[in-house]
Amino acid sequence: MKSWKRWSFIALFLIILTAIAGPFLFGTDPENPMAPPFSKPVWLDRDAPLTRILELTEGETTKTFKSKGDPPKQFRLKGRIRFEGTPVKATLVWRTPREEILLEDLSRYSDILIDLDGRDITFKLNIGLSAFDNAMDKLMPAEGEYSLYIESDVPVASAELTATLEGGRWGVLGTDQRGRNVLYLFVMGIRVSLIVGISATLIASMIGLSMGLLSGYAGGFTDSVIMRSVDVLLSIPILPILMALAGIWGKGLWQLVLILSLFSWMGTARTVRSLTLTLRDACFIENLRALGAGTPYILARHLLPETLPLLLANIALGVPGAILAEAGISFLGLSDPRVISWGRMLHEAHSFGAFTTGAWWLLLPPGLGIAFLCLIFLDIGKFLEEMVDPRLKGGNDK
Amino acid sequence: MIRISHLYVSYRSTFSDVEAVTNASLTIAKGTIAALVGESGSGKSTLLMAILSLLPPGTLVKGKIIFDGEDILQIPESKLNRIRWERIALIPQGAMNSLTPVLSVGQQIREILSFHNGIKGLPAERKTAELLDKSGLPSSVAGRYPHELSGGQKQRASIAMALACDPDFLLADEPTTALDVITQGEIVSTLSKIVRDTGMGMLLVTHDLPLATSVADHITVMKNGLIVEQGSTEEILENPHHVHTRELIAALKVLEGGNSN
Amino acid sequence: MKNYWIKRIASAFLVLGVVLILNFLLFRMMPGDPVSSIIDPRFSPEAKEQLRKIYGLDLSLSRQFILYAKQMITFRFGISFLTQRPIWEELSSRIPNTVALLGSALILSAIIGTLLGIKAALNRGTVIEKIVLWGGAVSFSFPSFFVQLILLMCFGYLFPIFPLRGTISIPPPTGAMAAVADYIWHMSLPVISLVLLGFGGWALYVRNLMVKVLGEDFILMAKAKGLPSHNIIWGHAFRTILPPVITIFLLALPGIVSGAVITETVFSLHGVGRFLLESVTGHDYPAAGAAFYLLALLTIMSNLIADLAYGFVDPRVRFERRGKR
Repeated sequence: MKSWKRWSFIALFLIILTAIAGPFLFGTDPENPMAPPFSKPVWLDRDAPLTRILELTEGETTKTFKSKGDPPKQFRLKGRIRFEGTPVKATLVWRTPREEILLEDLSRYSDILIDLDGRDITFKLNIGLSAFDNAMDKLMPAEGEYSLYIESDVPVASAELTATLEGGRWGVLGTDQRGRNVLYLFVMGIRVSLIVGISATLIASMIGLSMGLLSGYAGGFTDSVIMRSVDVLLSIPILPILMALAGIWGKGLWQLVLILSLFSWMGTARTVRSLTLTLRDACFIENLRALGAGTPYILARHLLPETLPLLLANIALGVPGAILAEAGISFLGLSDPRVISWGRMLHEAHSFGAFTTGAWWLLLPPGLGIAFLCLIFLDIGKFLEEMVDPRLKGGNDK
Repeated sequence: MIRISHLYVSYRSTFSDVEAVTNASLTIAKGTIAALVGESGSGKSTLLMAILSLLPPGTLVKGKIIFDGEDILQIPESKLNRIRWERIALIPQGAMNSLTPVLSVGQQIREILSFHNGIKGLPAERKTAELLDKSGLPSSVAGRYPHELSGGQKQRASIAMALACDPDFLLADEPTTALDVITQGEIVSTLSKIVRDTGMGMLLVTHDLPLATSVADHITVMKNGLIVEQGSTEEILENPHHVHTRELIAALKVLEGGNSN
Repeated sequence: MKNYWIKRIASAFLVLGVVLILNFLLFRMMPGDPVSSIIDPRFSPEAKEQLRKIYGLDLSLSRQFILYAKQMITFRFGISFLTQRPIWEELSSRIPNTVALLGSALILSAIIGTLLGIKAALNRGTVIEKIVLWGGAVSFSFPSFFVQLILLMCFGYLFPIFPLRGTISIPPPTGAMAAVADYIWHMSLPVISLVLLGFGGWALYVRNLMVKVLGEDFILMAKAKGLPSHNIIWGHAFRTILPPVITIFLLALPGIVSGAVITETVFSLHGVGRFLLESVTGHDYPAAGAAFYLLALLTIMSNLIADLAYGFVDPRVRFERRGKR
């Protein structure tokens, strides 16, 4: 058995691993803005400068870096500085290859909050520019070494400063409309798709299994009622019902799972029923009945195991449907806004400006993620189906 | 006259080529019934399909099939379509699913009439009724669909279809398999009567030697792709050369003996 | 034959009945005060009292349902919470757009899918067959809205050939011809996207059915009859698979109508689907119910038409019950 070699099993394993490990790898909360909104991925538009983030953390008073002198679009400096006493003279300095620029006079403050923005007129005036000049030309004029440092006559107790030099490029997959890390969001999205896809299909299959067994084994009136309901449910557009239920019942993840499974058990019920029908009249079942076995016994001990492999394939093949349905509902904005999912990412990209800013890189990760996950489950389903029925192997001709 | 000479047919398979017909030569004259007898897998159906050049793509065919002075194996497809059915028609196996299920018998006959003879409308309907009558079916069958017909009726409908263009030759491929004995007899007598009345030639492919001896003028016996015996019906019955033929005839005699008791 | 029509029409009514019940329960049996879900809480007490009467909220549940069913069947949907205008007025201008969108997309993808499917079945192992197999896989695994978003990004923003949003330009162009051209321009990308998403699955089904039917005895017979290949392919092979093709269409129909909601949202079209979404997100329950009812009605009617077509193309309908539907 070479099942483990099948690409889909390996891919699924890796994806689950990523979903579990994801939050630990990134450390912070995915909701935190990491860089300016709509930053491009670093591999895109190579001429644009990178968004550079300088952080002065505990104890550091200087940060030095080299630059080619391509001025970024914006400069922002935020943070808090505390001294061990009140300094008589203290300054926050930005040194360029040409000059030293006094960013802020820290004298006579023992604890100061810093919030500077290159676009501020006061800031421009402070560093000796007119209101109409571009601060970036002065702050990053040429190639060379730059540094940001604190000078004071009292030791610095703590300095937490973040200088953001916005260049428009940041991170592996860029940032979204709120400056969140798209890679992180993408990794977080795996969970929702997997959880909703698998659990909704599992529940739906359980419903479908019981309905199908009942319908096939009981026959008569029960059968016709169940099969008629299947027919009717299969001829109504389901998405509007799901939308309405999602809108009414609340938007939580588990409500969504329940709603999805309530309306996707029909296919399984049909398959299980037809299998049950062929098995019901099989010789060994007849013999069991002749031996005096009761219906529940036959159902549980003989029909259920016979239908199980088929059911397993059915589950795998049903997962893509549930994933797509969840993504669709999230895309329509009917999911919990606090839960990050791939559908939600596309919804936000569509409604919050990806199209006015042309941020097409926001669309690809979630969309391709959904498609890839679906293909994995389709392949696993096909594999399981072939195990149940080896005739299916080698092409889909017959 | 159809003259097959030194025909070889082999099917491509994944491992090796399988020779289905080896060096077969056979002549079918107008006004006569020739029978090709053999067990299943003896290559007799392959030989018949080769005459209409209907072997699956990729099949290797060597030799000659001369019809009207031309080699059928060399004729281009468009010209072949004029020989098919207009000159040589096929009566398929009774067990075959040879009628298009979604078209009525009448539609299927009229399609042939329209394409080959240009007969349409009312004349076509009249001709259809006439053909059905000739093959022993009421004209109401024209409006019926294949699934509404019995096995015997389907086979008669196939005969009616084969006669649509008054062909010179009929190729009948096991026309009575999968039919009950009484229907078999009726179908065979209808067929031989038509052939005798119209003076066309027929190649009857069958595994049933008694059937062949009852209608055919000439009999050819095939085994494993080889022709093992060839001659007029009387010759073969009286003086069979090949062991296989002798066995077949012995079986026939036993049956006849059984019947007379 | 007669039996078949009666059965189909009866089942259409059954589905309609279930839709009405679902709709009724969905928007009335919600947690909390049923009144607040049907009557806008912001209305004045007098208006509330009046609306209570209109919806018959003081009657028993079964009476309410009968009243409701009557209103739905006669298209008296009431007043929208959001716009304070009659819901029918809102919907009637949107129906043609939704029908045009789905109708043209369906017809185009059916034609392209069928042609490609047949081509693929006739030329096994060629590029065309590969395209069909891949097209099918894409249409089963790619989310429709993702493909549409990408198309919109490409042809609405990066290469602005088509408009980014809407059904007509603002301000609308003058002159009938210009207006029609403008409408087609706006509808092109949505329709193209639906065709791109739809033809693959269609072609795959047609190909699989064709491959099977081309191996049948009666196709060999048709060749023996010397019929031209055009007759054999269309008159015999395709004609034979037409009933299952219609069955597949029937099974896909609800999904296609559901797709209207997503397509109209992506392209900001003035259609029933987007109205449904706006109503659901705006908690405008009467409007949402009406939109759902209309979409379901559209499905039921197309279903009935396809059922009738099935009766014409499948001679076996007269005697047998249809296999798996």
